[in-house]
Amino acid sequence: MQNLFIRKFLANKFFWFYLLSGGFVLCTALLGILVSSVSVPVPHIFYIIINNTFNTLSYEDIAPNVEMIIWNIRLPRVLLAFFVGASLALAGAAFQGLLRNPLADPYTIGVSSGASLGAVIVLFFSISISGLGTFTLPVFAIAGGFAALLVVFGLVRLSSRSLAIETIILAGIIVSAFISSIVSLIIALGDRDSMTQIIYWLYGSVGMRGWSHVQLIIPFMIIGTVILLKHYRELNALALGEDSAENIGVNVTRGKTWILIGASLLTGSAVAVSGAIGFVGLVIPHLVRLVTGPNHMHVLPLSMFTGGAFLILADLLARTIIAPKELPIGVITALIGAPVFAFLLIRERLGRRGG
Amino acid sequence: MLSVKNAAGGYSKDLVIKGIDLTIQKGEFFALLGPNGSGKTTLFKMINGQVPLKQGEITIEGKSVAALSKLEKAKKVAVLSQEAHVSFDYTVEEIISLGRYPHQKGVLKKLSKADRVIIDNVMEITNTKIFQKKQFRMISGGEKQRVLLAKALAQEPELLLLDEPTNHLDIKHTFHMIDLLKEWQQTKELTIFAILHDLNVASLYADRIGLLHDGKFLEVGDVNTLRKEGQLQKVYEVQVKNQSHPTIPKPQLLMTPDYKTEHEPVNFHHCYSVTQNDRLIHIQFSEPLRTISNGVAGEGLEWVTHFCNYHVDKGYDCSTPELDIRNWMAEDGIPCEQAVAMMTAVKLDDMVLMRKHEDGMNILAMVTAGTGNAVDISAKNNAALKRRTGTINTMVFVDAHFTDGALVNSYMSATEGKVKALQDLQVKDPETGTFATGTSTDSLLIGVTQKGIQTPYAGSGTAIGKAIGGIVYEATYQAVKKYLNRAGNQ
Repeated sequence: MQNLFIRKFLANKFFWFYLLSGGFVLCTALLGILVSSVSVPVPHIFYIIINNTFNTLSYEDIAPNVEMIIWNIRLPRVLLAFFVGASLALAGAAFQGLLRNPLADPYTIGVSSGASLGAVIVLFFSISISGLGTFTLPVFAIAGGFAALLVVFGLVRLSSRSLAIETIILAGIIVSAFISSIVSLIIALGDRDSMTQIIYWLYGSVGMRGWSHVQLIIPFMIIGTVILLKHYRELNALALGEDSAENIGVNVTRGKTWILIGASLLTGSAVAVSGAIGFVGLVIPHLVRLVTGPNHMHVLPLSMFTGGAFLILADLLARTIIAPKELPIGVITALIGAPVFAFLLIRERLGRRGG
Repeated sequence: MLSVKNAAGGYSKDLVIKGIDLTIQKGEFFALLGPNGSGKTTLFKMINGQVPLKQGEITIEGKSVAALSKLEKAKKVAVLSQEAHVSFDYTVEEIISLGRYPHQKGVLKKLSKADRVIIDNVMEITNTKIFQKKQFRMISGGEKQRVLLAKALAQEPELLLLDEPTNHLDIKHTFHMIDLLKEWQQTKELTIFAILHDLNVASLYADRIGLLHDGKFLEVGDVNTLRKEGQLQKVYEVQVKNQSHPTIPKPQLLMTPDYKTEHEPVNFHHCYSVTQNDRLIHIQFSEPLRTISNGVAGEGLEWVTHFCNYHVDKGYDCSTPELDIRNWMAEDGIPCEQAVAMMTAVKLDDMVLMRKHEDGMNILAMVTAGTGNAVDISAKNNAALKRRTGTINTMVFVDAHFTDGALVNSYMSATEGKVKALQDLQVKDPETGTFATGTSTDSLLIGVTQKGIQTPYAGSGTAIGKAIGGIVYEATYQAVKKYLNRAGNQ
């Protein structure tokens, strides 16, 4: 009986997809920790991680500065890259399902531009609220993201009773455009120094953030992920259109609201800790869907894994290509993402013509 | 099952539905009919809970629709509407699985084994199993609709709401689909409430229909309600003629277009050509005539252009006369779908062609006659008939406009004319020695141009009836005489 169950499990292609994406995550994470100017043997890395997690105090032959690099710089960087990538890809998959449009991404409805505005304000005015410290910027960014979401919701509520998809997209575009122009205005008003700082932040980066940012994103990530995974059936049902979804018993308005909240939490917190990193939320769900089919039960978790691993890889490239200098990670994701996306589009069309 | 009490409502302040009462029993197929804008869709959405009521109440099994949650409602009611647009490349199976949504339980809400059995079942019934792994977007319109039906049935509903489900389908898929629904209705006691556009389809499948007009029911009743032409004409503003289905006792409606082809009045006797040789008399009209006949081919009520009378030998093996005559027509280049053909062993040279052109009446009659088979219809003991040559074939063409009743009337008038001619010639039933009323295989055809003012009667009490009877009498008289002469000479 047990045997049969396991055999059936192995025969299921999704089991292999999960195994593959899980392996991808571990490999890229290890690679991300390993590759750098200071080379550390793999056993030492494990040793350091295990020691620090379980607080066993017995490191003899490892230099404290090596441990510092691994534990305080590289590991949080890799984890942050994973969390940000996972959040963006998951939010992207949810937005695409919700808006029934494979071209939607986490930035479609304007949450990210709100978060950007919050961060830019902090950078421009050099605000530092006592008690928040380094958290000032991400806290402002998250608040900005939520303010933008509320404005979008308000607009949608005022103009359509049923949270119509078209209205959500339109309101998102309007709010995004408006906020972007304010960000541009602030950049234009600023001096050279803050301008460089702001633009660099807008390009996105997961470097030099430390454990504090990892701690910051984790709760949002957990809540957002739980909300979205819980609504995978509603996302599937929405594929038929809202009326049909309602006819099979879906409370469409409630479902849409929850999905919007969950996806916005993920997007807002990701933008807050790392800046607006593009293309992850657009390409990864698309790619996953091509392999697994559109069922959100699998698209959502697999997008998470793949997105996280992809961003670890992108970050690795960003800091090694012109080392010791770093490229903005958003540049790398766009450089990889755009051609991949174009390739997918063409391939899909060719495949259709063939079939 | 479903009860609508004094319901009224609409989208804005104006009421689209203005007070409707309706009760639908469990296991009933109810069709909602009415023109666009009569409020069909609004009533549909009110029953489905999508449009709120302003007045009255709608209950499903005693529970108010408004009070049901989406999930509770979906367990009882499934909806199938026109072809839906599906985003992403979901497979057919995944789409059908969505129908299990309201029944899924547990924390993970995964498909249970019982769910799988039901999905398998509905795929089997709707014949969608063969393409279950295909992408929904890639299958044809008819297949899509079947998949959506499977999804609706997977909900295991007690009430199925249909909103013009066959709108984009061809007749094959339309009938397959509704046949399937009908079977489900009869075997599983499924209640069906359907908006149907096609009155004829509604008549064939529905148990009851409701005719909606301007937000109110004009009438609710069984499908024979559709026989009330005046009512339909008022609602749809189209000329409707009701006929019965030829094989099942249900009304079928025929619509008459409003456009008219105007013709300059032409002389009736210039409208046809007659060609005659040893084996065929072929009368061809320039336009089809409304025809009632008992010819070998093309019998019944038809619109016909070609009228044929074929000669056969005395020893003709008449086991497959219709097939033979169709083959002959094909050889002669006559389209058999637009033709009536008769058969006779009489010499075609003895045909009598008679034209009448008086009192504003134009009539053409053609008779070939033989009386070897003469029969007295009232005499007993001659049911087992001996095959002898001789039959009276009569064609009468009238420039008039008859109702179907008048057509039958004229048929009687022509027959009476024939009987009178036989009587005056003292033709007798060889078996009984009594006066014959006809031969055992007479054919008669009346063709009418359907021009001019419509006449409801053409019996012996009318001028036209008398004229028809008269010309048939004269022509038959001459034809029988010719036959008797020829028989006497041989």
